[in-house]
Amino acid sequence: MNAQSVILPDDLSQLSDAELRRLELKIARKHSGMFPWGAVAWAFGNLAVWLSLWPLVFTGLLPLWAAFPIATINLALVYLPTHEAQHDIIARPGTKLRWLNELVGHATSWMMITPFEVFRVTHLDHHRHTNDPEKDVDITSMAPGPWSAIWAAIKARQPNAKRSADYVAALARNGREDLILLSLIYKLGFIGILGALAWNGYALEALFLWWLPYQIAMTYIIFFLSWAPHHPGNESGRYRNTRSWRSAVGNIGSMGMQFHIVHHLHPYIPLYRTPAAYREMRPILEARRCRLGDL
Amino acid sequence: MERALKFIAGILPLIFAFAFMVPVIDAGMQAVGVNAPFGLSTLSTALIIGGAWGVFAQITGRWV
Repeated sequence: MNAQSVILPDDLSQLSDAELRRLELKIARKHSGMFPWGAVAWAFGNLAVWLSLWPLVFTGLLPLWAAFPIATINLALVYLPTHEAQHDIIARPGTKLRWLNELVGHATSWMMITPFEVFRVTHLDHHRHTNDPEKDVDITSMAPGPWSAIWAAIKARQPNAKRSADYVAALARNGREDLILLSLIYKLGFIGILGALAWNGYALEALFLWWLPYQIAMTYIIFFLSWAPHHPGNESGRYRNTRSWRSAVGNIGSMGMQFHIVHHLHPYIPLYRTPAAYREMRPILEARRCRLGDL
Repeated sequence: MERALKFIAGILPLIFAFAFMVPVIDAGMQAVGVNAPFGLSTLSTALIIGGAWGVFAQITGRWV
């Protein structure tokens, strides 16, 4: 990590594209390269809490009505550590802690009934084709307003949803058709576990500890990670396809996505550093005519 | 093998309905004390509701 502050000239409009780029990269590098202990602790802590809910509820130590909101928070929180691992932020290939990066990814993504490699391949594809109506796997989350975005997120999980077809197409485009079968195995495994629990007297536990929290969390995640930062989703180009915005539920409530533009420009910056990187980079982003809202 | 997998993938709504929705509806009715109509058991009612919903999802491609 380079802790040296980057001094920007007062008038950035006089700088060339290359000079702006150089300054932007300097700031990005300053906020990257550190080990995100928080994301690792978050991943395993969240997993441990969610797993502990099951015996606590089965033994009657915790009522189901109390466990349900905790499970929902767990499912909502599970994606971000996986996301850090998808971008090799915990450890890059060939480094000593690479195993930990992969472990975080695999240990968390199954809770969302998706293989880690599917998340990785399709999410990196989203970065390559952001807002492309044909190739962006997240394009179906686009909607004119927040309520229609919530409805779009629900529709995206229906059996014949275009989103599923878009994911399959992205896997095929990246030469990873093998992951289609693995995805199906995960889905069948999920139904198998839910069914085994349900037919053995734990139907409501399966419903309120996994299925319903997963549905609520997915809607929340698609809303804040996909719809809000790209809305209205009709512009392409590095500096226009993502925006910053001030969320009504704050930065924590929107899972840090207010600064998602920094993530799209420099996906190797850990989530917890994106606010600081954004504040430092803001004059450059203004000069680039990015959509910054009032943040 | 591929044909079998495609077949299974094609009937996931029905599998989900009978594997999970039926026992959930049954347990839900018992938990809130809802009596099944026409002298049916809660499980029979759950099979009718869950099964019909599964068939709807299987045909239309959507649950809602």
